[in-house]
This record gives sequence, C-alpha cells and structure tokens, in this order.
Amino acid sequence: MNSMHIIQMFLAALVAVFIYTFIGFIPGTDETSVLMPITLTVVLAGVPPIIVLTFFIAAIVTLNLTNAIPTALVGLPGGVMSSPMLEYSLFLKEKGMSALVIKKMTVGSLIGVVISIPTALLLANVLVAYAEKIQTLSSLLFFLGAIFLSLTGRNKILSMLGIIPLAILFMGLRHLYWGIGIVPSSANITVSFFLGITTGPLMVSLLGLLNKRSRKSMVTKKMKKISIPNDAIGNKTLNPFKILTRAEIVKASISALIANFLFVLSPVGLTILLGEAATNRIKDPVIRSNTAITTMSALIQATYLSGIIIPLIAIGVPLSPTAIGPGSALFNAPPVFTVDNNLHHRLDSWEFIVAILIGAVIAITITYYITNRYASRISTFVLQRIPHEGILGLFISLIILLAYMDAGLLNVFGVLLIGITCGTLNKMGMGYGVQFMTLYAAPWIVDKIILL
Amino acid sequence: MDNKGQMFEVWGDIIEIKSLVISIIISSTSTMGAYFIAPSNDKTKQLFFGLIGSVLGFIISTFFIRPKRIITIEEESIEK
Repeated sequence: MNSMHIIQMFLAALVAVFIYTFIGFIPGTDETSVLMPITLTVVLAGVPPIIVLTFFIAAIVTLNLTNAIPTALVGLPGGVMSSPMLEYSLFLKEKGMSALVIKKMTVGSLIGVVISIPTALLLANVLVAYAEKIQTLSSLLFFLGAIFLSLTGRNKILSMLGIIPLAILFMGLRHLYWGIGIVPSSANITVSFFLGITTGPLMVSLLGLLNKRSRKSMVTKKMKKISIPNDAIGNKTLNPFKILTRAEIVKASISALIANFLFVLSPVGLTILLGEAATNRIKDPVIRSNTAITTMSALIQATYLSGIIIPLIAIGVPLSPTAIGPGSALFNAPPVFTVDNNLHHRLDSWEFIVAILIGAVIAITITYYITNRYASRISTFVLQRIPHEGILGLFISLIILLAYMDAGLLNVFGVLLIGITCGTLNKMGMGYGVQFMTLYAAPWIVDKIILL
Repeated sequence: MDNKGQMFEVWGDIIEIKSLVISIIISSTSTMGAYFIAPSNDKTKQLFFGLIGSVLGFIISTFFIRPKRIITIEEESIEK
C-alpha cells in the first residue's frame, strides 16, 4: 500500500457512490443483480485487490441507504432489503412525515455502519482461530440456517418441505451440466442460480401475463399516482443526535450489534426478525413505525457489512448470504480470484481495515448529505424518466447474460426453471432466505441427507 | 390479442404489454449482441461488453417508453 493506492481507493469509493446512488433510487432494483455483475467486472479487469474491496464496501453502504429512499418517498421499495420497511414507510407517508422518515433512515444507516464495522472487525479477528473448523462445518450451518429461517417464516411447513426438493433441483441441474460436459466438474454454478431465486417471483408474475385468466386479475385502468413530498421542509438539522430519540438510538445500536453475531443468516430475514423484535411492544403506531424504520436501516447496513467483512477476513470462504450472493466476486472470480487465492489471502489485516474504512466513510458521508438534501429531486427525476418496463427489460437481459456466461443456452432455460419453481414457492410462503440457504447447502444435503 | 394498450400491475408498478415486449427485445438484443462482439476468449471483456450493452438497451428503452406514473409534487406540512 502506498500513496498512489490511497488516491485510487478514494477514486474507487467515489465512483461506487456515484453509480449506486443513481441505481439505489430506481425502485425495485435487486441488490444482488446490481452489485454482483459490476463488482465481477471490476475484479476481472485486474483492479488491485485493496481497491476492489474499497469499491465494494462503498457500493453496499451507498446502495443500502439510497435503496431505502424510494420506500419513504413514493412507497415503492428500492430493493429487496428495503421491502420490510414498506408498511411503516407508507403509514408515515400518509401522515405527511416522509422528510422525517428519510432523516431517520440516514441516521439509522449511519448507526449501522458505525456499530458494525468495529464489531465485525473484532469478531473476524476472534473467529480467525476457528476458521478451519468453521470451514468444514459451513454446509451444516447453511442447512441449519435454512431450517431456522423456515421456522421463523410465513409458511413453516411448506418451507421445511421445500428444502430437499429444491436441493435436488439445484444439484440435478449441476450434475446435468457436468454430465454433458458444458461445465467442468470443479465448477459449482451459483451466480445464475442465485439470480433465478431472486427474480423468481418476478418471472412468475410476468409469465402470469401469458395466461388469460391470471392476466385479468392483474389488469388496471389507472396509471400509478405518485405524490412526492417536496425536499426537506421544516427541520434542517443534520445532527444525528437531534434527529433520533434516545430510545431509537439504543434500539438501532443494539440490533445492529446483535446482527453482527448472526452474520451467517439471511440479511432480509434478520432485518425483519430483529426489526420486529425491537418494536413489537410499542403501542403508539407513529413511534413504532419510526423506531422500526430507524432500526431496520441500521440492520440493513449491519447485516451486509458483517456478512462481507467477517467471512472475508476470518475465513476466506463465502460463508454468509451477503458473501455468497452480492459479494461472491470477491471470493471466487477465476482467473483473478479463486477459493484458495482471494482477498482473504491477498490482503493483510491493515490493508483490510484501511480499505473498509475509506470505502465506508466516504460512502456514508456523501450519501448522508445527498439523501438529506436532494432525495425528492433525484426521486422525481428517476420516476419521471425511467419506465418500469425498462427496468424489467434490463433485469431480464442481465439474467440471460449471466445465465449464458455460466453454462450457455441450456442454462438460460435452467435458470428459467429455477425462477418458476422458486418464484412459485416464494408466493406460497417459502421466503428468499430459506431458498438461498438451501442453494448453499445443496451439495451437502444431497450427500449427507438424501443419500444417507 | 385483445389487450393492446391495457395496463397491468407487475412487481408494484404499472406496465403495458407492448412497451414491455419492446423493452425486453431491445435490452436483450443489445446485451447479447454486445456480448458476442467481445473477443470470445476473454471473459472480462465479454462481461464488460454485455453490461455496457444492457445499459445501452436500457437507455434506448427509456427514450421509447413513457413511464405510467402521474407525478405530483406536494408540499409537506410541518413535521412533528
């Protein structure tokens, strides 16, 4: 690391903030499909590892905050992670409190970043000693995670029943590809399967349009009416301690702290679980919604940061949903990174700390300011200019691209199959978290449970 | 098809079938077109070209398709 690197890290963080501020404001953009391909390109382009890390940290911190904004302003979630906040945001928007909600989100995010970076770094250093043991147990942990998330989900029995069939589907496709030789048997296709899961519900809805009867239920006569509150009227302060109440600060901080210890679980799942746990005793709906939004904003940052920092520093294996999904390019992007030679092996602890701090500090400072000052203006621009059809078209072409790159034309249809299956299960109540965990645990489930 | 100009709600927002088909065709053609232009032995360039293609397709789509939203800017009253 030299001064040239430091300058490049600053630039990388600024580029990430610029790209993901814009993407974050577009409603419905899924985190994995916007983070993973761009990060993969940065890695494959031969950018030095320390700069890749700065870029990625700045990207997730920016995206996690800017994704929340459309939720508060216009009632459309910016991404998967902000969907748990939707109900509370809509309630407060109706009360005319959007500007305050945005402030609470930004400060919540700030708390999440401030708490989770030191905690994750400490935890990572503690876990280094057990890294080998954890590596051998990782599949079992994913499997237990799937069961745990099933038990906390909307449809417990269906989720439990779905685990093994889904594992068979994933491994069935992998074995097919290995069998006909379009994929070397050393490669485990994960990226495109992952996207199949995330976009499953969308695929099912779109395919529903092809069916006359289900199309009828989706018809609407009216355009979407959206009212955007004008920029931050009233309270102009940017002082975090004046925006939140004491109780909100305490709840957001404690939840963010706890989330670090549970880094192997699904970020959305954790955000819902801990966010609801922190607020379900509050009677007053306004206070409850405000607290939920603050706490969840902190949790979103905490789950993502711990989910990437701990596996990277301590283990070197993508042992968390964040690491294996959005961050997978940091662990495995042949020929630049492989499981035995990735950021974990290439950077020392000081380099990790510097890269993470520069990325996070630049991202949270700029987005904190921008979202507080210009949220309405950016949102108006995006909503007036960007058609929903364009976003759906972009998603579909990204899926086709990544599916094709993983295993050719066959896999484009393989991913369609996964999308239909997972999307249907999702609509019936088997959450993303369970499905992701199942994907990671699939080889183990087939080996150790089905063939037992 | 009897649904020309009809609007549907998909994924929390409003779409029109014709616009959606146009957008999917434009985006996937530009994405995969750019992908195949890239040198076939270089994975980085393939991905990079593909991404540029998808962004181009997206930008072209935004020129042809009008968002189905009615935007009003409201003045929010004093905060609590």
